[in-house]
Amino acid sequence: MKVITEISEGIRLSLESIWANKLRAFLAALGVVIGISFVVLMGWAISGLDKALQDSINLIGEDMLYIDKWDWSGGKKWKEIRNRKDITYQQAKQLISQLTLAEIAIPGVTTWSAQVKANNNFYSGISIYGTSADYGRLPAGDVELGRFFSLFEERETRNVAVLGHKVAKTLFPDQNPIGKYIKIKGRDFEVIGVVKKQGTMLMDFIDDRIYIPIGNFLDIFGGEFYRSVSIGIKAGSIDRMDEVREEARGLMRIIRNLKPWEEDDFSINETKAFEEIVSTFRLYVWGIGLGMTILAFIVGMIGIMNIMFVSVAERTKEIGIRKAVGAKNRSILMQFLIESSTLCLVGALTSVIFCSILVFFVAKFLPKFVPETAFLQPFLPFDFVLYASFVAILVGAIAGLLPAIRASRVDPIESLRYE
Amino acid sequence: MNETNLNGQPLIELRHISRVYQVGVEQVFALRDINLNIYRNEFVAIMGPSGSGKSTLMNIIGCLDTPTGGEYYLKGVNVGELDDNELAEIRNKEIGFVFQMFNLLPRANALKNVELPLIYAGISKTERIKRAREALESVGLGDRISHKPNELSGGQKQKVAIARALVTNPSLILADEPTGNLDSKSGEDIMKLFHRIWTLGNTIILVTHEYEIAMHAQRIIRLRDGLIESDAPNSTRITYDSMVE
Repeated sequence: MKVITEISEGIRLSLESIWANKLRAFLAALGVVIGISFVVLMGWAISGLDKALQDSINLIGEDMLYIDKWDWSGGKKWKEIRNRKDITYQQAKQLISQLTLAEIAIPGVTTWSAQVKANNNFYSGISIYGTSADYGRLPAGDVELGRFFSLFEERETRNVAVLGHKVAKTLFPDQNPIGKYIKIKGRDFEVIGVVKKQGTMLMDFIDDRIYIPIGNFLDIFGGEFYRSVSIGIKAGSIDRMDEVREEARGLMRIIRNLKPWEEDDFSINETKAFEEIVSTFRLYVWGIGLGMTILAFIVGMIGIMNIMFVSVAERTKEIGIRKAVGAKNRSILMQFLIESSTLCLVGALTSVIFCSILVFFVAKFLPKFVPETAFLQPFLPFDFVLYASFVAILVGAIAGLLPAIRASRVDPIESLRYE
Repeated sequence: MNETNLNGQPLIELRHISRVYQVGVEQVFALRDINLNIYRNEFVAIMGPSGSGKSTLMNIIGCLDTPTGGEYYLKGVNVGELDDNELAEIRNKEIGFVFQMFNLLPRANALKNVELPLIYAGISKTERIKRAREALESVGLGDRISHKPNELSGGQKQKVAIARALVTNPSLILADEPTGNLDSKSGEDIMKLFHRIWTLGNTIILVTHEYEIAMHAQRIIRLRDGLIESDAPNSTRITYDSMVE
């Protein structure tokens, strides 16, 4: 009860004295304000990144496996991976026909930068993706207009194309693309569908591609011997990932004629690889941010400590009066700790308000100029606001400790005589 | 009125009190050998020229300082054995200070100043405000409770300080030159207030070097060079009635 009375009184007093010296308090807390801003903004960027990652995972599907020549996690013996033999369409078809446990399995082959002609204009840098009709059954194949190509069209290698969301916008800005024709390497393709917007920060290429039957793709881009086909396998549920993975691995080893002692010459990729990439990236953000944050906090602490020492010196007499009427040393200690913590907390709240406004406008307007930043959210992550407040209180308490100890040791007799 | 007096237990009992300051290699005796009993509801003046040790004695009686020799019993408790925190608690509960320089918190209004000791006693807010208001009313400042010290006259400031001293209902009011910074009219007001407080049953110790002020007390103790020079009842006392006339 006594302690509660003293604490609430201490907070009231601190707010009063901050209010009485607004400018001074602001300058003293500036370092902390900057430090807290770093923490909150970093948290904001990272949480946006995490959300983008989750979106990508949801897009690809957590229960998807991709058997590929390439390894998504990167870094892993790159030279060895480069020397792997391409996976041929023949091998992919063989695997797909032999899989028994998977829900859906599709082949896929990509060219990243093709030239496309539409409405007598040429567009370059558009990626073409050859796949099977089953792609239309994946969540990623949902169409917003028209339809995905059928098994019949795939088998007959009809010249039909389904456009990604962004390609449709680029090629046919103000028109309905369905029924229009586009030219890929001189061949006319009829547009029969547009896939829903799918892209996220990590996967925005997916809105930027054109889907055509894989047979046509290999025909046009000459591919069987030059391009590696990947096989997307949808397990159906996360629980079944292990068995589907093992079946696919076993079959693939047989198809690739591997001896029991040889290592896999293909990779089985999962969305987990994305998480690894993002976590590395997150580490970089933290690393840079943390360095600056610590620096700002050290500067901030010095500022707070300095102003608290000034405050103790100015209020020597007040301390004496309080002691004379019965304040214990620890009451004085607490009062000054509360004051420096409150100062930092008010600084933190200031920076949270400032950052909220900043973040709102950045998230609103920056993506118009830099589309890659579309993953940013227009609000601060609440948990980081809490951490920031906690850190501020802690920083305040640490910075205020020495001045508070000095205050608690003031001799009441000396200080009452002090004019 | 003087029940403790009757059963023989003094409020304050000083036995061979000495206080030595170490100045460089030299030892300075501020108090040498003080023996003193003060009973409940006494009105005592401690007099002496500067350097006589009266400030040191006041600090010791007020539990702001501890003696280097001898024993000090306040309500039977040996104060010399207490640590800083226990001394703070005693100051809070048993002693009300009134200083020459008023020593009010400049940023707090009269009510907040009077509330201060109650905060450290852990009294709830509503109770604090009630008691502080009553104390201010009892010194005649019921209409000044939200004034800050710089909006009050010297006499009014001192009355706020007296209200602050009274608010915890202490065993002892310890006043150090309470009129030293006041004009004679305000000084007289303050002395009247002390008389009234005394008649209500409080014990008052007045530390002063002014003869006229000491003349209000019932008993006068004179210090010189850290020793009690004389300790006698004041036969030529200025009474409240004589002031009112």
